[in-house]
Amino acid sequence: MLTASRQPVGSPSHREQTSMQTHCCPTLTGCAFDAQNLISISLRKIQSSRTQRGGIKLHKNLLVTYVLRNARQFYMSKNSLQTQRTPPYEDAAAVHRRQEYIELTGSFTELADDFYCNFTGTESDTWHCGAHQSSAQPSELAHQDASACAMASPSDSELMVSEACWSCTDKSSWELPILNAQANQKTVLDLDTHVVTTVTNGYFHSDCCAQPKQPQAGAQCYTRKRKMDTSYYIVDPEFYLPDFVPCKRMRSEDDDDDNDDDGDDLQSDSGQLDSANISNLISVLGSGGLSEFVSWQQMDLEQIFGTQTICLKHTLLAGSGWTRAIEAF
Amino acid sequence: MAGVTGGNDFQWCFSQVKGAIDEDVAEADIISTVEFNYSGDLLATGDKGGRVVIFQHEQESKNRPHLRGEYNVYSTFQSHEPEFDYLKSLEIEEKINKIRWLPQQNAAHFLLSTNDKTIKLWKISERDKRAEGYNLKDEDGRLRDPFRITSLRVPVLMPMDLMVEASPRRIFANAHTYHINSISVNSDHETYLSADDLRINLWHLEITDRSFNIVDIKPANMEELTEVITAAECHPHQCNVFVYSSSKGTIRLCDMRAAALCDRHSKFFEEPEDPSSRSFFSEIISSISDVKFSHSGRYMMTRDYLSVKVWDLNMENRPVETYQVHEYLRSKLCSLYENDCIFDKFECCWNGSDSAIMTGSYNNFFRMFDRNTRRDITLEASRESSKPRATLKPRKVSTGGKRKKDEISVDSLDFNKKILHTAWHPKDNVIAVAATNNLYIFQDKIN
Repeated sequence: MLTASRQPVGSPSHREQTSMQTHCCPTLTGCAFDAQNLISISLRKIQSSRTQRGGIKLHKNLLVTYVLRNARQFYMSKNSLQTQRTPPYEDAAAVHRRQEYIELTGSFTELADDFYCNFTGTESDTWHCGAHQSSAQPSELAHQDASACAMASPSDSELMVSEACWSCTDKSSWELPILNAQANQKTVLDLDTHVVTTVTNGYFHSDCCAQPKQPQAGAQCYTRKRKMDTSYYIVDPEFYLPDFVPCKRMRSEDDDDDNDDDGDDLQSDSGQLDSANISNLISVLGSGGLSEFVSWQQMDLEQIFGTQTICLKHTLLAGSGWTRAIEAF
Repeated sequence: MAGVTGGNDFQWCFSQVKGAIDEDVAEADIISTVEFNYSGDLLATGDKGGRVVIFQHEQESKNRPHLRGEYNVYSTFQSHEPEFDYLKSLEIEEKINKIRWLPQQNAAHFLLSTNDKTIKLWKISERDKRAEGYNLKDEDGRLRDPFRITSLRVPVLMPMDLMVEASPRRIFANAHTYHINSISVNSDHETYLSADDLRINLWHLEITDRSFNIVDIKPANMEELTEVITAAECHPHQCNVFVYSSSKGTIRLCDMRAAALCDRHSKFFEEPEDPSSRSFFSEIISSISDVKFSHSGRYMMTRDYLSVKVWDLNMENRPVETYQVHEYLRSKLCSLYENDCIFDKFECCWNGSDSAIMTGSYNNFFRMFDRNTRRDITLEASRESSKPRATLKPRKVSTGGKRKKDEISVDSLDFNKKILHTAWHPKDNVIAVAATNNLYIFQDKIN
């Protein structure tokens, strides 16, 4: 039986604004395992709440996201303690700034960043959406997170970013490279079978994500103008995750990508994106349904990014795209 | 009122149990709310199937003067039906979230019942006479041929079998985007408030097509949402004062005289968190599930997952009393999170004199705390101890390694048997405890 850790976890309250403190856990690995289990359980709850009778329970989902946040922060603090090296492309100051920002302020939707997100092993400095499948070097992966979104084809401007996200997540578990030889645990939620799996020291093969292309300037992520379903905007963090976009874009652009086994599946799904799934993701985080987001109907991507500029920090840093995605909130 | 913790002069005994005995409990039969009316003569229950059952207190029997009368079914009606919001593609559950009685002003009784979206005002009235001797229609109701009417008579009222009618008098709909969690009748007997996750509305009982929004905590950007409203209640005497609790464990007292929109509280009640007890689930267990004013209006009581706290309205920085309901569950929070029990919303209630409080727990246990003697007792609502006038035996949960006789270990607790809803008679030591689909009624037995 899992038991809640009684040791104090670093307080993530935005009121307190204290830095993450890793509590003294008799078994750091054990606590991390608990955190990972909690993350998987929480993801399952959010997934199941989409089909609950009576609509999404706002209160319950809010509390679940708090647990997600706590578990995530603990996991990150554990990683930061064990991380001995920084990626060569980042200087210490950039890492520090990024880590400072990664401290969550308790924003409800910030927590949504972690939905269906894999957590890498201890070596990871950044969150990875998992959308990229790569057998490339870890450093390359870190580069391509955000900027790869710029690869979206202009012809697909009508395509929702979030749909692209879902096209990835609708498939089976995605793949995440192991960044080091030490034990890495990844939590994966299979949206088809609703199975949450924690894997240690292993690859999953993603069915959906293509080999990412070379990174481009991060600013390009935000210049593309595309129509959007405003309901996606409010709570779908993956809308901003440039990682997800190229999963679909690159597949459609480049059929010669490595994972040809996945290509057919993805392409066959390209026209069958389940908008209900997307809206359900949104509805997870807000009861009341789509009508709550009527005010966003006319807002397109650039407008949204414009309103978010005040929140953008270090967007041009050579940090990971995932980091920039978080910063956008 | 005597103490409640089983002293020499006071013991709780079983009185009645209502509901089916079947092991397979239908979801619709699960009781979702329990409420005594102002006099205590009527006891209303609502269930997940949208039905309301009202029990009435019968007069004491002359043969058994030591026992109070029993509660028997007075009226049953379907309050809410399942609906579907086609615009939002959402199903609206018929589950009755709350019932609140209105003060009785004439022979009829009025109550408010609400599901997630719609509040209804019901009139429950008795009919024990019917008119006979109509001129224009026969006794069976058929119209008579006017040409065959040769005389004129005055109808007379004849006694008939008592019939209790429940009719919806008002329907207050389309005012809540989120799920309604509370309704509370104001002391002016003209208005009432309804609260959902993010807003509180003030209604007039006679007006159904509009309401005043008095609290709105919805952020402009939903991404900034950090807390929701979990409960709200009007002050029992000051019609301008109400409180609402939040998922962050805070309580705000608002004065409607200060502003039309009471977003700025008059008082803010919060107990500082103990950093040493922080865990993954700190936010969940600190979320307040119920708030109740004392009858005097001087205190209020809040229920979070593990404790009950009594607050003095004159002191905002900490509660004056804290009672641990089931602290032994603190080490089991992870499991309780996994099986969703950690999200259970327990209610709490005061006795008529505000000297005792009661709340529910798991394994069909419920707890009473005597505020004067600081003693507490754990009792169980079970069929096994449901013999007439059987004295309830105090129960104890073993928290240490060695379990004593008659103690139950934490791991043996049945978390499917939970008592979320309880009610205390406003005047007497009679309590109603909802255990899934059964309603238990216990009363004191004065030796």
